[in-house]
Amino acid sequence: MMDWLSGYEVLFQLTLSLTLLALSLQIPLRMGVVSFASVGYFAIGGYTTAILVVHSGWSTWPAVVAGTVIAGVIAYLLGLGIAHLNGLYLAMATVSFSMILSVVAVNGGSLTGGPIGLFGVMGDATTWHFFIIVILVIIAISFTERGRLSRRFDAIREDPQLASAMGINVVRYRRLSFLISGAIGGLAGSMSVLMKTTISPESIGFGLIVLALTVIIVGGQGSWVGAVVGSVFFLWMPQTLDFVGTWEAVLYGLIVAVAAIYLPGGVVAVYKNWRYRRYVAHRNATLPEAVGASQGGE
Amino acid sequence: MNLQDVVNAMTLGSIYLLFALGMALVWGTMGILNFAHGSIFMFSAFMGFIVTGFVPLPLPAVVLIAVVTGALLTLAIQYFAYQPILKRVKSVAAAELQIVVAGIGIAAVPVAIAEKVTLSNNFGFQNSTFEAEVFEFAGIRITNIMILILVAGLGLGIGTALWIARSRRGLGLRAVGVDPETAALMGVDRKRMALATMAFSGALAGLSGALLTYYLTAINPHSGDGLLLKAFAVIILGGLGSVVGVILGAFILAFAETAVFAYTSGTWVSAISFGLIFILLLVRPQGILGKKEVRRT
Amino acid sequence: MSAQTTASVAGSSYDYEPTLECRDVSVYYGGIKAVDGITLGLRPGEVSGILGPNGSGKSTLLGAVTRMVKLTRGQVLFQGKNYSSVGPGKVIGLGISRTFQTVRLLPDRSVYDNIILSTDVVCRGERDQVEDFVRSAIARTGLEGYEGLRPSELSYGVQRRVEIARAIAAQPKLLLLDEPTAGMNKNERAEIGALLRSLQAEGLTQLLVEHDVAMMVDTCDYLYAMNFGSLIAEGAPEDVVREPAVQEAYLGKHGRHHA
Repeated sequence: MMDWLSGYEVLFQLTLSLTLLALSLQIPLRMGVVSFASVGYFAIGGYTTAILVVHSGWSTWPAVVAGTVIAGVIAYLLGLGIAHLNGLYLAMATVSFSMILSVVAVNGGSLTGGPIGLFGVMGDATTWHFFIIVILVIIAISFTERGRLSRRFDAIREDPQLASAMGINVVRYRRLSFLISGAIGGLAGSMSVLMKTTISPESIGFGLIVLALTVIIVGGQGSWVGAVVGSVFFLWMPQTLDFVGTWEAVLYGLIVAVAAIYLPGGVVAVYKNWRYRRYVAHRNATLPEAVGASQGGE
Repeated sequence: MNLQDVVNAMTLGSIYLLFALGMALVWGTMGILNFAHGSIFMFSAFMGFIVTGFVPLPLPAVVLIAVVTGALLTLAIQYFAYQPILKRVKSVAAAELQIVVAGIGIAAVPVAIAEKVTLSNNFGFQNSTFEAEVFEFAGIRITNIMILILVAGLGLGIGTALWIARSRRGLGLRAVGVDPETAALMGVDRKRMALATMAFSGALAGLSGALLTYYLTAINPHSGDGLLLKAFAVIILGGLGSVVGVILGAFILAFAETAVFAYTSGTWVSAISFGLIFILLLVRPQGILGKKEVRRT
Repeated sequence: MSAQTTASVAGSSYDYEPTLECRDVSVYYGGIKAVDGITLGLRPGEVSGILGPNGSGKSTLLGAVTRMVKLTRGQVLFQGKNYSSVGPGKVIGLGISRTFQTVRLLPDRSVYDNIILSTDVVCRGERDQVEDFVRSAIARTGLEGYEGLRPSELSYGVQRRVEIARAIAAQPKLLLLDEPTAGMNKNERAEIGALLRSLQAEGLTQLLVEHDVAMMVDTCDYLYAMNFGSLIAEGAPEDVVREPAVQEAYLGKHGRHHA
């Protein structure tokens, strides 16, 4: 019985890690900054914490704070250097940032444990701690999904010139998005390494970028709900898809491809649009004279 | 770095060139960054592997299979994925990200299929009737496949550069890349150009896939992923919008990697492409010969 | 009042307190003089218009006034204060609102959210009154009932009105309109003109950039005419449009129609 439970505990921890990582990816994305550096932040947070605990004997929470803060600072500096690049180029710069870090990890000798990584990263952090931390982050982020802040994010993403004309300091928000994304990503890495007690270059490579991205694609990039839904979907689906067997990976790929092509905004957007359609239908039914005006719509 | 290294680097560079050229053409003229290109590359070779499992074929046949697979796959992706996205989104800029994301998603499917069939092992063209021949002179070893790669790479690279610069169709393609609206007004058939470019790009992916597999004797389902990022480095280095740039970029990267491999351990090699991308984007995003605007408007 | 052709005057004086003042404002791009030595002072509480054919520099002038474009020379002053070196993000805070040449609404947001957007930064201290501002803007632009809809459901004319509502929700002291009736038919144009007149009746100073002559004559209290980056005439609208320089700019030397 305890084995069964502890099996699910690992899955739960993975869900928490992936959710945080996806949230880290979402913050800049919601402001129109296509950054895949979150995996790099994850690596920085994870390795910093691992190195401090294993090599310098730091205790748990200071090591977590260090991982979070250092990732945040490096993220901010990264932002200063590349925020002026447009869409695709910025995305590729962040991909290469993350990949460079994985190569550095491989070549880091005894500091990073080389290709094998570091072991024995033990601490006092429990799954409950992790859960509470993630809940706190989600609560903080939910504030940015309501009212003024959410409108600002939308304006910055959809039309930066308009945002500027509305008085929004677009440059400052973009820089902040790097900082916050970095902190959350670093936190995800720190907590993750404490849960798993190991970290290796393999766990922070291109595969992780793709995984985090697929969570966003399926769940949606606009809301923390999407990050949670996407993470749960990917980690818990295999449990229910046993019958698919070894074609599971192919099915996953198909789902992601379909979502990417036909469902921009992921599952969350599908829901939001459904609710809006209902509102419009209801409104047209109750205000017949307005229908004529809206008929001229694009 | 000795003469043998130079020959190896030239061969590697030719592969990079063939692969990156397809990506660059599509990106430069259609604004589509096809993240499925690596997966197509691998799957085209995979098709050759499957077919030669039934029937031992000579090299030209295997290459043809790969080329056709690559072209068809790319056209299918264009038709079923990228075009619907472009139709839905008003501006190409907003579609950019969705296209990249769709490409990443789609890329997973061929990789997953190949992994399932090969059980994540390497695969090659063992049953092909092709036999490698080695020539030795001036202290260097060169095989017939290497010669083929060099000829294909340089030939197609230079040929494409000339065609774009000189021929009427080529000028049309350039016009589409610079200003699609004007090009359309001038009578350039955008749709046909788009399909032709995609097909050619896919064919190049298939060609490079087959040739690389013959060269290395085997590749694995994930071989395309790494190549994708290197192609990006090549294009950024040479500058988007320039075929000559792609040629230069491909060989510069190949030589840099070969040199690093010769003088340090192999584990730093991949850092070169990533490092190049990062530094270039930081200081000179338009690369050596690039023309396109890279700054955020 | 008779029309005057304007000569460039530095440090000009007016017999009223101009809401917005341009002093020898010039914007050069390389070899192109998009705006060349514009000097004007907007009369408070009036609708002033800038008339000119395509390419005359009107939109660039608006860009200079909203600080989206750098001044090569000259100054812009708002209510007597020089704001020439301020960034575009600070302009709305001064009390200057604008609409754009193309409709720029957030596509996934409701009309209400789009309108309230202009108050988010500027009306930070008045959150409890913001809803009143927005309701008032909706009422004045005749958008009741549309609040929950997204822009894609709206006709072009309605979208334009949402943009105007957004601009006035922030309680600006000056409203700039960049070709608000582009692409509209005569009726829609008249509706917008009436809306602007009603805003003027409330005391809002406006600067309207357009190239539809009839609309300008009907809507504006004072008119400036531009061509090739310079002012070629200013004064009462009916007089300005009769100026030979203005007619030539619009109709060409041999009567060919430009606009």
